[in-house]
Amino acid sequence: MYKIMMFTGGVYKFHELKEIIGDIGGFVLQEMVMQTETMMHLAFPEEEERRIRDKVKELGGKLKDLPLAGAEIMIVVPSLGKHHAVYPMCDIAEFLRRKGAITNMMGLARGVGKRIAQMTVQEKAIIEECDAAVFVLGDFKECIEEKVPKLCEPLEVPYMIVGGPPDIDLPHYVGGVGRRTRRMNRKADLDKLEEMTYAFQTVLGEKIKEIEEDPLAASPLFIKEMIEMTLPPKAGEEFPVVIHLDGLRVKIEEEDAGKLGEVEVGKRKLSEISEIKKSFYEGYLVRIQTEAETGGIF
Amino acid sequence: MEVKVEGGDEFANASYAKICDDVFRDIGLRSNIDRVYMYCNPGEHVFIISVKIGRAPSPVKVWDVTMREGDTLRITDEKYAAKLLALMWDKYGERVQQISRLVIGLELKEEEIAKLSDLIVYDPREDLNSRILDGIDRILPEGARVRYPIPSAKGITIIASENPIAEEWKEKAKRAIRDVASREGGEW
Repeated sequence: MYKIMMFTGGVYKFHELKEIIGDIGGFVLQEMVMQTETMMHLAFPEEEERRIRDKVKELGGKLKDLPLAGAEIMIVVPSLGKHHAVYPMCDIAEFLRRKGAITNMMGLARGVGKRIAQMTVQEKAIIEECDAAVFVLGDFKECIEEKVPKLCEPLEVPYMIVGGPPDIDLPHYVGGVGRRTRRMNRKADLDKLEEMTYAFQTVLGEKIKEIEEDPLAASPLFIKEMIEMTLPPKAGEEFPVVIHLDGLRVKIEEEDAGKLGEVEVGKRKLSEISEIKKSFYEGYLVRIQTEAETGGIF
Repeated sequence: MEVKVEGGDEFANASYAKICDDVFRDIGLRSNIDRVYMYCNPGEHVFIISVKIGRAPSPVKVWDVTMREGDTLRITDEKYAAKLLALMWDKYGERVQQISRLVIGLELKEEEIAKLSDLIVYDPREDLNSRILDGIDRILPEGARVRYPIPSAKGITIIASENPIAEEWKEKAKRAIRDVASREGGEW
């Protein structure tokens, strides 16, 4: 299994770090050089962590763990009106991003109210394209208890609920947030957000464990590299390939979609080891099948 | 502005009290509202909010937002520039011209200039009600779309719910407001 970490430091000898990553079979997921500062998201085999740490220490950089890296998360609010956006949804999304996740935000068309709250089939499908969902609900215990069975429980992906009342007996519930009119930048708020991301790690951990027990034919990180070699990103495209825990979201033009299945992964084609379908939301979704289904790729 | 929220649990009451405070501050009405009383019943999904209007701000006149510099007026508060120009063009036509962003040229007689002090650029009382209603709309939960207003001499009360509002709740709301008024003293 790969470990994903963030490196920040100077540009001095930083290509040596990249070389080591290449040597040990790791990947550079994201790289940003800002004059003399660099930021890199690295993925490398867990057992090689010592080697990377030693090199980073030598370069005088910093290494930060990204526990949520490799997951695309949907932040769901009952509506995009001023009652639910911008606070606290953006604070929550920002905190998940700091832990390495890629976040999307979504306001439901008819998610407001208690009795009248509902989710459309398409909304459900869009949320299920992501690895996990975070529902940001309001202040009233009665409303949350009635909405959760309608909005959250039918989902087939792991979810967490963030709400107001501190004591609701629901699985994966974090209280103490609720409706906000101000940014969550006080000490108590930051502690709450930390607690929330910690709770989210356990939610996501279940899915990661499931995948580890029945490993995929190839790691999404490896497939990302293969796709980028065959279909290089066009000018102006940012993050054209988003990694999921069990696949990828590839944001490509419709005319290139045919080439996606032809990408070679080891001795197999991508279409042989994965299901490719058009996303309801953006790009194409690649869901990698398990090794048990497809056999080895080499 | 005093805020009182009842009916929900401890967390919800505290949270809504803060929302009321912040929303009325954001739309700049905190000093024009005396009291806000809110009653939440999330079980039956009924929310009552009652606002008692205090003193309305006095009208903004021409000399409040401009300074005279010979034959020109310099706008000191740009927020009112559009309203001021519209008013003066309406009244004096081409004899008033906007020379630059903040300078207005006048071709008026001395007695006409003296009369400028009576012109009202903006009367906050005009849109006070709509601004209060906007504030109330921001506070009440979004799902509570069925509304029933109860106007009173010095304020407004709104019942909101996602279900049709029963007579019983209208009565309850009126009673609750009377209770609050008698407890606090004075008219509501």
